[in-house]
Amino acid sequence: MFTLTMWVMLQTVSDHTPKYQDRLATPGLMIRPKTENLDVVVNVSDAESWGQHVQKLNKFLEPYNDSVQAQKNDVCRPGRYYEQPDNGVLNYPKRACQFNRTQLGDCSGLGDPTHYGYSTGQPCVFIKMNRVINFYAGANQSMNVTCVGKREEDAENLGSFVMFPAHGNIDLMYFPYYGKKFHVNYTQPLVAVKFLNVTPNVEVNVECRINAVNIATDDERDKFAGRVAFKLRINKT
Amino acid sequence: MGQKTPQIYSVELNGAKDMKQTDKGDDKDKYRGLWSTCLELRKNHHKEHVTKEIDLDDHKLSNKELENKYHTNIVTGLSSTQAAELLARDGPNALSPPQETPEIIKFLKQMVGGFSILLWVGAILCWIAYGIQFSNDKSSSLDNVYLGTVLALVVILTGIFAYYQEAKSTNIMASFSKMIPQQALVIRDSEKKIIPAEQLVVGDIVEIKGGDQIPADIRLLFAQGCKVDNSSLTGESEPQPRSCEFTHDNPLETKNIGFYSTTCLEGTATGMVINTGDRTIIGHIASLASGVGNEKTPIATEIEHFVHIVAGVAISIGVLFFIIAVSMKYRVLDSIIFLIGIIVANVPEGLLATVTVTLSLTAKRMAKKNCLVKNLEAVETLGSTSIICSDKTGTLTQNRMTVAHLWFDNQIFMADTSEDHFKQTFDQSSGTWASLSKIITLCNRAEFRPGQERVPIMKRVVVGDASETALLKFSEVVLGDVMEIRKRNHKVAEIPFNSTNKFQLSIHKTDDPTDKRFLMVMKGAPEKILEKCSTIMVNGQEQPLDQSTAEAFYTAYMELGGLGERVLGFCHLYLSADEFPETYSFDVDAMNFPMSNLCFVGLLSMIDPPRSTVPDAITKCRSAGIKVIMVTGDHPITAKAIAKSVGIISANSETVEDIAKRLNIAVEQVNKQDAKAVVVTGMELKDMSEDQLDEVLTSYPEIVFARTSPQQKLIIVEGCQRQDAVVAVTGDGVNDSPALKKADIGIAMGIAGSDAAKNAADMVLLDDNFASIVTGVEEGRLIFDNLKKTIAYTLTKNIAELCPFLIYIIVGVPLPLGTITILFIDLGTDIVPSIALAYEKAESDIMNRKPRHKKKDRLVNKPLAVYSYLHIGLMQSLGAFLVYFTVYAQEGFRPSTLINLRVEWEKDFVNNLEDSYGQEWTRYQRKYLEWTGYTAFFIGIMIQQIADLIIRKTRKNSIFQQGLFRNKVIWVGIASQIIIALILSYGLGSITALNFTMLRPQYWFVAVPHAFLIWVYDEVRKLFIRLYPGSWWDKNMYY
Repeated sequence: MFTLTMWVMLQTVSDHTPKYQDRLATPGLMIRPKTENLDVVVNVSDAESWGQHVQKLNKFLEPYNDSVQAQKNDVCRPGRYYEQPDNGVLNYPKRACQFNRTQLGDCSGLGDPTHYGYSTGQPCVFIKMNRVINFYAGANQSMNVTCVGKREEDAENLGSFVMFPAHGNIDLMYFPYYGKKFHVNYTQPLVAVKFLNVTPNVEVNVECRINAVNIATDDERDKFAGRVAFKLRINKT
Repeated sequence: MGQKTPQIYSVELNGAKDMKQTDKGDDKDKYRGLWSTCLELRKNHHKEHVTKEIDLDDHKLSNKELENKYHTNIVTGLSSTQAAELLARDGPNALSPPQETPEIIKFLKQMVGGFSILLWVGAILCWIAYGIQFSNDKSSSLDNVYLGTVLALVVILTGIFAYYQEAKSTNIMASFSKMIPQQALVIRDSEKKIIPAEQLVVGDIVEIKGGDQIPADIRLLFAQGCKVDNSSLTGESEPQPRSCEFTHDNPLETKNIGFYSTTCLEGTATGMVINTGDRTIIGHIASLASGVGNEKTPIATEIEHFVHIVAGVAISIGVLFFIIAVSMKYRVLDSIIFLIGIIVANVPEGLLATVTVTLSLTAKRMAKKNCLVKNLEAVETLGSTSIICSDKTGTLTQNRMTVAHLWFDNQIFMADTSEDHFKQTFDQSSGTWASLSKIITLCNRAEFRPGQERVPIMKRVVVGDASETALLKFSEVVLGDVMEIRKRNHKVAEIPFNSTNKFQLSIHKTDDPTDKRFLMVMKGAPEKILEKCSTIMVNGQEQPLDQSTAEAFYTAYMELGGLGERVLGFCHLYLSADEFPETYSFDVDAMNFPMSNLCFVGLLSMIDPPRSTVPDAITKCRSAGIKVIMVTGDHPITAKAIAKSVGIISANSETVEDIAKRLNIAVEQVNKQDAKAVVVTGMELKDMSEDQLDEVLTSYPEIVFARTSPQQKLIIVEGCQRQDAVVAVTGDGVNDSPALKKADIGIAMGIAGSDAAKNAADMVLLDDNFASIVTGVEEGRLIFDNLKKTIAYTLTKNIAELCPFLIYIIVGVPLPLGTITILFIDLGTDIVPSIALAYEKAESDIMNRKPRHKKKDRLVNKPLAVYSYLHIGLMQSLGAFLVYFTVYAQEGFRPSTLINLRVEWEKDFVNNLEDSYGQEWTRYQRKYLEWTGYTAFFIGIMIQQIADLIIRKTRKNSIFQQGLFRNKVIWVGIASQIIIALILSYGLGSITALNFTMLRPQYWFVAVPHAFLIWVYDEVRKLFIRLYPGSWWDKNMYY
């Protein structure tokens, strides 16, 4: 009976899109390197402490290598959604747009002796937005990511930073997402933030949020809806 | 019968002398029994101490000595100041109420009993877990604190509830036992004063008259025609004469002592208070009775057994999974939280409260049927009763003498003895009846209290002794206004009854104005009356009394006596007008009238007849496998006669003596196996060893104990309990209270019962009617069956609550059911339905099966546990998991993805967990989905619990045989389930602390196929049980 009803139930579930997405109205933001409790701690003198972050980032950014992107993904027209409707026939697999590693500029880590700035105490942190199927982020208007210190002293300690792509822009062409089964080589857009002169030896609370028309960032309960908060600490001796 | 029965009426023709002696001895034994009860009960005290304590010698002292002893004066009484001092010294003259457990202790007991301990452990573990979390991480969530607090609240609330229920039923009793304040007429400062009896002190001189309750133990100083009713103290139902002479060494037997709380029936007396309050004889017995340990009720044992099973399962699964979790490299803290979850899932938090409610519902129902239950658990005890030791007087009988037979014209006529007594059908045309009725009417001193014209005759209050009352009522019913007849036949002389004469006589003018003769009427012991007669009236004609008529008389007398009836003879004589002119002055002392050659008219016999409902009730008990034993202080012949007429000894069974008589052989020659019934007297019982008593109790199905003392009642009860029987004892007197306490269920009489008996009893019969016990038994059995159903219903979902945890630990899926959600099932949706099962009607005739064996037929037996846990419970879990998987799959997490997702799922910083479709979820989004999962699982269980509720209506019959709609409360229960679930899901969906979310309406129906499966499965189970009784299936699947 259980097997039967389970089978019946699974028949109702489609392969490419979930039946309901009501919980995912607001995509969350996340940072890379993904650390325990989202604490990015960099001991400049201790190569081991940031070495693991660098390794993770290397691995994370591998699919974004320009060569890979060029091979698998399309060059799309920026500023508009890359829609691939089924029109009655399954349009499969769907194509994804190129997001080249070089777009990340100083944070691309390509030919970079500073290892994304970790060896010099000017680390890059990558911000990404959660994938949600059929979500038209930005509602046809441009959107970007901004970061601030959470409190006043954090803002002071945070110092200046630069963002890649410029202004933390995320292009519409990377949306909508069609699910991992169809959208095989999808690479989600990233925003890199390079912190240039963080006050060393203090913990700085940073909060980045996405500014988009259809993404609320003020959910009281879900602290990661359209935003991400993390701690940055540069230890220098 | 000596001083015991002052009446002439004896039931035996021969051996009156023997009887007198045996009875005397018997009485002594009776009293000794009473004392030895005291001795036995006060094991810790030195014997001398006890003897001294109860040793009264005031009855031996002269008035002068008494005055000196108590510093009082017989004429002037105590002074007020003296009295006040004594009152301060001795305390008020009232029985101190039985030692009550302090309320706070009772309350705390509720807090730690049953599952409470387990839940407390859970709550404390929660707080400890939070403490550890907090010390590691200051920002840790308060979930565990909430949970701990909720658990503690659950314990406290259910504790308060149980306490409240208990207190409520105790309060009923408290109001019930409240006595009307008693007054006493006392002489103080040479003045007669009326004071509350509580203020009496030792040395007070009190005056008593008929109808008063004796306000303290008193030594009589003066008495006139005083008779007291000692039945509440000694069990003797006959009135006892009191005088101021010292007649016996034993204070209980001497005539010059009156006992506290006994009633003065007639006459007046003056006495000196010699003991007050708890120091009175009755006070001793009452306080000693409370020393007899109260046995644990069968249902309490059953519930304890059940708690042990469930707690055992909870703890062993909890510990097992704790070990598994630790060895699976879970953190210890997490493992502790798993442990809490397992405990909470396993413990049916609401069940004990449900049981209490169920019991009190039944108690209420029984109260409506005149069984007032003092101790809630006693409700069920009555149902498992296998032996009832019943009193005779008042319980089986109407407790009033009633004319049962008449003999005149050489014929025995039967009179109607039913309670209303209205249709007297015997032949009333004979001239003899005219004469007999005249004697009955005239030779009688009893009178109705005035102002009762509207009261039915049988209920009117009469001044006079039991026999005279019976005759008065009888003649009033048959002839009409007796008072008017007596007025017309003016009484000119009278010799009241006394024990030497053994007759009563009066002389009247007749109502026939032409007849100037006086009519002398007389009644008394038949043989004495016959001695005085030379003629006998047959068909209205006087005939000489010859040998054959005398023989007919004796045959009739024997026959009526053999029925256990009290027989009276009646004769009359018209005094010739010549010898006794109208002006003749009769002198009762000189007896200046003839006392021989009278005309014998007839016999009339009386008995305290059985209540009309009793024989039927006894038959019901019998078919219900309950043995009814009569235990009475009354005479064996009467006891046997009543036993026969109510069916305690059934019509075709014989005692050894009966067989001997029938076969005309000696008693010793009779094969004891042939006898089904036995009458054991107190004398015989005294010489029996325990083994012999056991043998009597086991080998005879029909037993009557006659002439027993209160202490022997206790022995009989213990004997029955040795047979593993659940014993119910009925009683009314103070002397019964130890036996009432000792019994598994003591039943006191509400009308005739003394306060001590009511205090010792677990149940009070408001109408003193044995038939009420039978309805009680029925209710008790029904509640046992229904409790089984309730428990089976409640246990089933425990597995469905437990499985999520086990799957969560082993397979690592996100937690399917939260701990708080479990509490909402246990204390929310499931409460009303499980109470509703208490309203279920019996499946078959529960009064046709044997009482349950207290050690074999458990409330929770193996089939019940196995079937609930492993059959229905597992099916239910699968159904609920289906709903859970459906919700997750349709939201993006297919079952395959869920496996081993737990660790990532629960990491607070992972805000991009990928589902089966590549979408990424933040922690809060996942949490919300988890709560939706809880809600889904909850609804899944709830829907299947509806099916569970319906299948639990019966254990054997098909639901369609039982009727789906007969028990309306079940539907109220189902409605309550659905409404509570709706409120939780849609009303409180936004309250995060409760972890409920709005659930899509279609998810409510996902588990419905499983609900139907449960129903069908159970119908099949029941079908096989009905088809193959006694088979393996029946034994293992019938709970």
